[in-house]
Order: sequence, then structure tokens, then C-alpha cells
Amino acid sequence: MENPRANNRTAPTIDWSIMAAVLCLMVFGAMFIYSARFATEGPDMAFYQRQHFKQIIYYALGLGCLGALCITDYRIMSRYSYVAYWLAILSLIIVLIPIIGAVRGGARRWIDLGFFSLQPSEFAKLALILALANFLSRPTDELRLPGNFGKALGMVALPFFLILMEPDLGSALVLIPVSLAMMYAGNIPTKYLRRLVGGASIVVTLLVVDILVAPADWRVPIEDYQRRRLLVYFDRPYQDFAPPNATPAELKRAREKQINDSYNVKQALISVGSGGLTGNGWRQGKQNALGYLPRAVSHNDFIFSVLAEEIGFIGSVVVIGLYAVIFFIGIRVAAQARDRLGRLVAVGVVTLLFSHVFINIGMNIRLMPVTGVPLPLLSSGGSFTLVSLLAIGLLQNVHRHRRSY
Amino acid sequence: MFIFDQLKRDDRELRFLAIIMFAGCAVLITGLWYIQIVSSRHFEADLIGQATRTVRVPAVRGKILDRNGIALADNRPVFSLDLYLAELSEQFRANYRKLKAEYRPTRDQIEHVQRLARFQVVSNIAHQVGQWLEAPVTIDEQEFHNHFINLRALPLSIVDHLTLDQVARFSEQPQSLPGLDLRVAPRRVYPYGSTAAHLIGIMKRDDSSMENEDAFFHYRLPDWRGLTGIESRFDSEMRGLAGTRSITVNYLGYQTTNSFLREPDPGASVTLTIDLRVQMIAERAMRSTEFGDAVRGSVLVMDPRNGDILAMVSAPTYDPHVFLGRISQETFRLLNDPIARPQVNRAIYNHYHPGSIFKMITGLAALEAGQLNPAVEVYNPGYWQWKEGTRPIKDLAAPGMYDLRRAFVKSSNNYFIRHAMLPGVLDRLITLGERLHFGKKSHLIPGQDVPGNYPTKTDIRAGWGPGDTANLSIGQGAIHVTPLQVATMTSAIANGGTVYWPRVAAKIEPNDPESHIQPLYYRPAQIRDHLGASASNLEIIRQAMRADVHDSDGTGKAALTPGLTVGGKTGTAEVEKAGKIVDKITWFTSFAPVEAPRYVVVVMVESGEFGGSTCAPVAGIIYRELIKLEQSTGLSLSQLN
Repeated sequence: MENPRANNRTAPTIDWSIMAAVLCLMVFGAMFIYSARFATEGPDMAFYQRQHFKQIIYYALGLGCLGALCITDYRIMSRYSYVAYWLAILSLIIVLIPIIGAVRGGARRWIDLGFFSLQPSEFAKLALILALANFLSRPTDELRLPGNFGKALGMVALPFFLILMEPDLGSALVLIPVSLAMMYAGNIPTKYLRRLVGGASIVVTLLVVDILVAPADWRVPIEDYQRRRLLVYFDRPYQDFAPPNATPAELKRAREKQINDSYNVKQALISVGSGGLTGNGWRQGKQNALGYLPRAVSHNDFIFSVLAEEIGFIGSVVVIGLYAVIFFIGIRVAAQARDRLGRLVAVGVVTLLFSHVFINIGMNIRLMPVTGVPLPLLSSGGSFTLVSLLAIGLLQNVHRHRRSY
Repeated sequence: MFIFDQLKRDDRELRFLAIIMFAGCAVLITGLWYIQIVSSRHFEADLIGQATRTVRVPAVRGKILDRNGIALADNRPVFSLDLYLAELSEQFRANYRKLKAEYRPTRDQIEHVQRLARFQVVSNIAHQVGQWLEAPVTIDEQEFHNHFINLRALPLSIVDHLTLDQVARFSEQPQSLPGLDLRVAPRRVYPYGSTAAHLIGIMKRDDSSMENEDAFFHYRLPDWRGLTGIESRFDSEMRGLAGTRSITVNYLGYQTTNSFLREPDPGASVTLTIDLRVQMIAERAMRSTEFGDAVRGSVLVMDPRNGDILAMVSAPTYDPHVFLGRISQETFRLLNDPIARPQVNRAIYNHYHPGSIFKMITGLAALEAGQLNPAVEVYNPGYWQWKEGTRPIKDLAAPGMYDLRRAFVKSSNNYFIRHAMLPGVLDRLITLGERLHFGKKSHLIPGQDVPGNYPTKTDIRAGWGPGDTANLSIGQGAIHVTPLQVATMTSAIANGGTVYWPRVAAKIEPNDPESHIQPLYYRPAQIRDHLGASASNLEIIRQAMRADVHDSDGTGKAALTPGLTVGGKTGTAEVEKAGKIVDKITWFTSFAPVEAPRYVVVVMVESGEFGGSTCAPVAGIIYRELIKLEQSTGLSLSQLN
């Protein structure tokens, strides 16, 4: 007898471990979005207006897209990857047009379709993965050419700067580990990568040092809120960054602003910390119920704080474990992929999800500065939920079509 | 790792990525372990710190009861209307939005407009409540803002002391406004007003923590500490232990839930030896002098058999309730009048020359020294002079022949001074004063009794002259006593020579069987000393005192009571200032019945005319009322006491 799975040619299957992890995370997502919102959403609110119900709809839509994405072989889809890439670039340009792009919290990131607020930057991440995978899947010899490395860099830089202009530093930064991982896995010569990483590190260090310690005249112009987030992260007093001729009232305002800005991080830490080993139980989180954890962010960027307070360290580890299942089985999918294209797509997807998880949870426990990077499948929000499930769909597609028959 | 086994051995890149991700997950889990396990307590404390407020909730104060269990100080439910600000936050916001649209405030005006928005909401509610209660309700703007800033977690009291009518009117309102709550709180009340006010004492607002209570509170509800009288003497017993209420507040500082961390432990009740009926009789009698309500003086009714105080009056008096509220300027002026001094308990907290009432001790001393024969008549020229050229002490008793009885009845100065001058009498006098504990505190209410003055044996050995002895023997000069000391002295004469500790508190009993306060019983008839005088000599004094009331020419005949034998002694002490007589202290001290004394009545009036005309009638009224009381209740004297 041959390998029994080899006989099963007619029905190549998807990876059910990943699906199980995804389903579990979605259950957690719906539960804790409900928990995070029930204090805000009064008892009179209709169920279809509630955030967790909307989220379940996104999950359903996303699962549908995931299924649809599994059907067509990724190699066929990749032919359209540049189309997707340029459509994404187009949407990133469109969103910057003041009449079209909707502004929330000082950033122009959304295209309001009425029933749905589309966030082009999220879809651009997926498009970039596809296009970059397609580009890097060419023979390794070609990748040695500096011109191709430059082209690859350009492919990344274009959406990177467009997203930065919105501004959405978090989403832009996520593109860096994703593309680096793909270039690395795609056998771009490591000397190029070393130079790239080294150069980028120097630039970033200089930037941070400039922002934190340079005298006023020498500072690079960045968005005020981004500077403040960095100052909060490095615990630098705002007053030092006030203009030299600042009045006492302005200094006072700067101090108050600092208290406000470090408030979210502080409250998130209290939430996570007071969860202890086993947590207070579902819907028993005081930080969230009493509103100390700001209600505007508790169900999206800081959903992990809600979860960590309510199900404690054990629950947090379970959630990270579920993500780990996706990451490591995702890497196995990459390893077993039939070709370099599939391998690169899988690496891109896994790195994207990993970057989000690490940055988001890191921000909740003050390992990372605050950036609006959502937690895949847990944070409420339509665009990124759809993108996460589409990404999982790509992964499953690579897994399903892993053998050439 | 299950992943590594399946990775192709030469797949360096994927292995590296897997290691990175593994490390990333490990970093996150380590971070979470540090925050959720290692530092968990710290963050829990932060959470409790920002989300809970503790409130000190005073315990219900113990009562003060008379010997028959009638409450002299009690607690009455008082209704107030509270406004819970948390339930108004929606309205605050809505009104602010409205005002913002109207005024378009600049950045600096925002706070002002927010304040205005809140105050408008609250004052509208107050106005509506005022219409319901048919009495205007106003809220002070500054007070409201202060409350909002500092006490946001606590309800704002908008109406204190609703009448029962108003409670009914409020309850009848079909729809209540949000955030309104009718609250019932105990409030100290003195059912008999100014009756025994000095003994009961007054209270002062004091929210501080007592021993055995939590020390730190975010807020403290109003509490009271006894400042004088029994309220202060047994303050810690009556106060009980305050409880701790824990309030959970949301991020805006509004109350969400509350519960007791520690229930208050109600205070114990104090039972006095005072008989309310006797007290009221004594107070009425005190007001019967020609001074009326303005009389300044004191009345004590004591049981000479055990030292129990049945009534303790100090006049003028005050309404103890005024100290529970804001004291108006006019009231404050009256309370601190330098002459009337209504806050002073004259029975124990002021001392006076006893004047002639001290002659009972002078006479006893002379008898005990063997220098006085009651039957021998002595000539009184109408004054007493030590030597030619010294200042004479005048005698209000007419010149003539006096034996002890006549000297007592007429209160002859000459007679008693002359005997005090005889050898050994002064020593006896000092000894008797020592045994009566003159010049010592009674400790009835620590800190609020004065010791008085009395010469010691050392005093009379140096710098002491015959004039001093003369003055002392007629209750002037070096002697000052409190009315309570006079009552103890008279009791000792009446009961055959036993000096009792005066007793005013009989027992302290907790109202709650689980209370931390142990019941405390003060036994009656605690002996402080013995006079050491012979029974026959005491009887001579008692009979002389009887004559003072019962003889037709006795100075104390105004105390004569049908159906009761009374022994008494009048006194009119002179208050000198720089050699001039500035005031008179009139006294009458007495006991009854003479055969088996059961009552001692001491009356002292400042600035009276004579002891016989000012004070003896007061005692007469008291005895007659006591007889009437006994007859109406059908109780014998012993049962009543």
C-alpha cells in the first residue's frame, strides 16, 4: 500500500489544526468584545446593533472569503497579484483625498461606504504579500541582481510611505518585518538584507534619539501624537519638549496631556496585572466595567487587556498558544509548499499575523509603544478581521495545493 | 519541537523564522508572567486604589437613661433628601452639549460652562423638590462645586430635616426625579430639652477615628464627640465603633456600588442615678426664685445613704440641641455671657465660699474637741473681734445670750468663731475637712470638676492667724466648696458619718449583645471616708439643723414641709474683692426626714439675698413636691430611691 493520503487526490484537504485555532480565537473574540462593550451598550440596545454581533457577521463573511480563497490554486491567483497590488495602491491614494477619506482621531484611514468602513491599509498588507511573493519567486539567480532587490524594496516602500501619510505608523511598520521575512525566506542574498537591516536600524535609532533628546530646532517633523507616544513609551516628560518660551499654563497643559496619554497604557497594565493567575471571570473585569480602561479602545486595540483581566495568566497563555499553533503550522505549510511562491505567501501571512500579535500584546504589557495595530481575530473591526481570515485562506490554499500531481 | 522535525534539515531560513517566533511568544509569556503573577498584587492594589473609596460610617450613639430607663438623650430618625450625582451624569452631559451649542465656549471657558451645566441641572431639581415640599430648596453654587470636586462619590444632601408632612408629600409624588433618595439617619435628640443639660453635656462635631477603628478613610460622615458632661465622660462607650463602607467608583468618580467592609458597632447606653421626675422638680423649684429663668445657681438632690445623685441642676441652662447645628451669633453671645456663664456646670465646675452652712462642721469640730457644751449660753455682743484695734467681724444675729441651738438657728458668727478659737478645735476642723475631701476633686466627670480649696495642716502651721481661723469657721476665707461637696458633707452628717463617693452613672450596657463594649456597673455606696465623729455629737448637729427649719424663728423655716421633718442650715457667703463685698452666695443645705435621712437637698444661688429667703424656699418646694410624688406613685421613700 502506498501512503493512504496520496490516494486521496480528489479531495485535498485544508489544515484543520489551524482552523480549530482560528475558530477558538473567534469564540474568544466574540466573547470578549461582548464583555468589553456590555457596560457601554445599554440593556436596551438591539442585538444587531451590538459590537459583538457585528463582529460575528465579519467572522462569517471572513470565513466565506476564506473558503472562496481556498478553491482556486494560488498559482493562478498570483497572476493577478500585481492587479491587486496596484488596486491597493490606488485605494491608498484615494483614501488620502480629503473628500473621500474619513478622518477619525486625526488620521485619514477609512473609506466610508455607509454600511462598512473600509481600511485600505489593511488590504494593502495582503496585496503586498501576494505581489512580493510573486516577485520574489523568480529564480534565485535573478534575486542576486541588485536591481531586483531595489525593485523589491520599491514595492514595499510605495505602500509604506502612503500608509505613513495617513498617518498610520503601526500599519506601515508592520510591512517591514513582513517584507524582510519574505526576502529572507526568498533567498535574497543576506548581505543585502544585512545592509538593509543595519541601515534601517541606524536610521530608526537616529530618529528616536532625535525625537527624544535633540533640541527643538533639530527635531524631524513627525506627527505630534506619534512623538507623544514615543515619549510615553520612554517615560520622558512632555514639559521638556515644550517651546522654550512656554507659559506656565502651557506647561501645565503639557503635564496634563502626558497624564492623559500615558493613561491608556497605565490602565491596560492595571487590567492585565490585576487578572492574576486565573482572572476575575468573564464579564467580571472591573477595569473595563468601571471605565478606567477607556471604552473607546477596550474592544479593539486593548481587547487583550480585557481578556487578560478576565481570564488571567492561564487564559493569556492559552490565547498565545492558539496563535502559536497558527504560526508554527503556518511555517510547516511554508516548508511543505510545492514551490517558492507558496512558501513565500505562507511566510508572508505568518509574519504578518505574528507581527500584529507581538506588537499588540506587547503594547498591552508595555513592551512596545502604543500603535494602533489590532490583534488578529480578537480585536473588533471589519477590515482587519476580513484581512486576517483572507490571509488564513491563502495559507490554507498553499497547504491544499502543496503537492504537484 | 514538532515543527522542527518536519522542517527540512537544510531549510535554514524557515528554522530561523520559527526560532524568532518562538522567542517572540516566549517574550510575551515571560512579560505576562511578570505582570500577572509576579507583580499582580501591585496592580490589584492600583485597581483598588483607583476604584474604591472608603467612608467612615459612625455607629448609632448610645442613649443616656435616667434611673428608671427614661431616655434623657436619644436618637431620632431624621429624614433628608440626597441627590446621587452618578445618576445625573447623563443630564450633565446633555445640558453641557446644549450650552456648548449656545455659547460656543473657547478652550478656557469650557470648564466654566461645564460647571454651569452641572449646576443648572442640580438647581432645577432643587427647584422641583422645593415645589413638592412647599418650601424653597436652594443649593449654594460654591458648595455644590466643592462637593462635586471633592466628594463626588458621595450623595449630595439637598434638604436636611424634612418634616413628617414633607416626607409624606415627597412620597406621594407619582414620578420621582433621577438620583433622588430619601435617607434616614439617626440624630441625637434630648427629649427633655434643657433638662439636666449640664449633666448630660454637649457634643461637638468630630469625625476623627477612634482607637480600634480604621485610621484612613477617603470620606467621613458627620460624627459627634461628647465635649462635656456624661456625653464626654462615657464618650467612647456611647460612640461605639464606626464602620467602614466601601464605595466602588467608576472612572468619572461616580459611585457604582457600595458595601460595608466593617459594620458599625453601636454604642452602649448609660444609665444614670438621676431620677427624671426629681430632676424636673428641682429645676422647676430653681426657677421659682425672684430671678426666674435668669437665676444663677445649682440644686443637688442626693441620697445620703449611698451618695447617689438624684438631681443635679445648674442654672441658667441652655438647649443642648443648639450645639448640634450652626450656632447663631446671638446664641453664641448668650452662651458666653461673662456673668450668666450658662455653659458652666455650677454643681461641680465652680466653687464658692460655703458661708454659714459650714458652721455644722465648725460646731462638730468644737464638740469633738470637747470644747463645746451645747447647753452653755455664751454672750454675743453682735460682732467678733480678736483684739482691740483689729477689724471686727460683724454678726447678723442680734446681741444676746446664745447656746448651740440658738446659735445655729440664728446663725451667730460670734458663737462659732469663739469656739473655733479654743484649743484643739482648729486641728479637728482641718481633720474633718480632710475626711470630707474638701480641696479634692470628686472625679464625677473628670476634667469638669474643680477641687475647691481647704487649708491643710501644713497651711495652719505657718502664716496662719486667728483671723484666718475666724474666717474659716464661718465658711469664709480659705475655704471654697462645690455644691456637690456640700451635698456630700450634708450626707455625712445625715447618715452618721460616712463620706460616700458621689455616684451619677449606675451602669453602662451595650445595646448589641455582640458588641466589643463590656458592660460596666458602678456599685452604689462606695465609701470614700469616715468622719470619725461620735454618734451623739452628730445627733446634736442634726437636731440643731432640725431646729433651724422647724423653729418659728429659724433662718431655714421656709423649707418647712408638712408631713416631713427637715434639718437644714442657711448660709450667705460674701464675695470680697479688694476688701469690698461685691457679691453674695446664698446657700441652703438640708436633709430629710431627720429621723432617718433619705434626701439631701442643696440649693445655691449666686447674688441671692439671704440663704433663708432665697434658697430655703426652693428646698421647701422640692420637699413638698417629693412628698406629692411619693404619694401619687404610692411608693415609699425607700422604693423610690
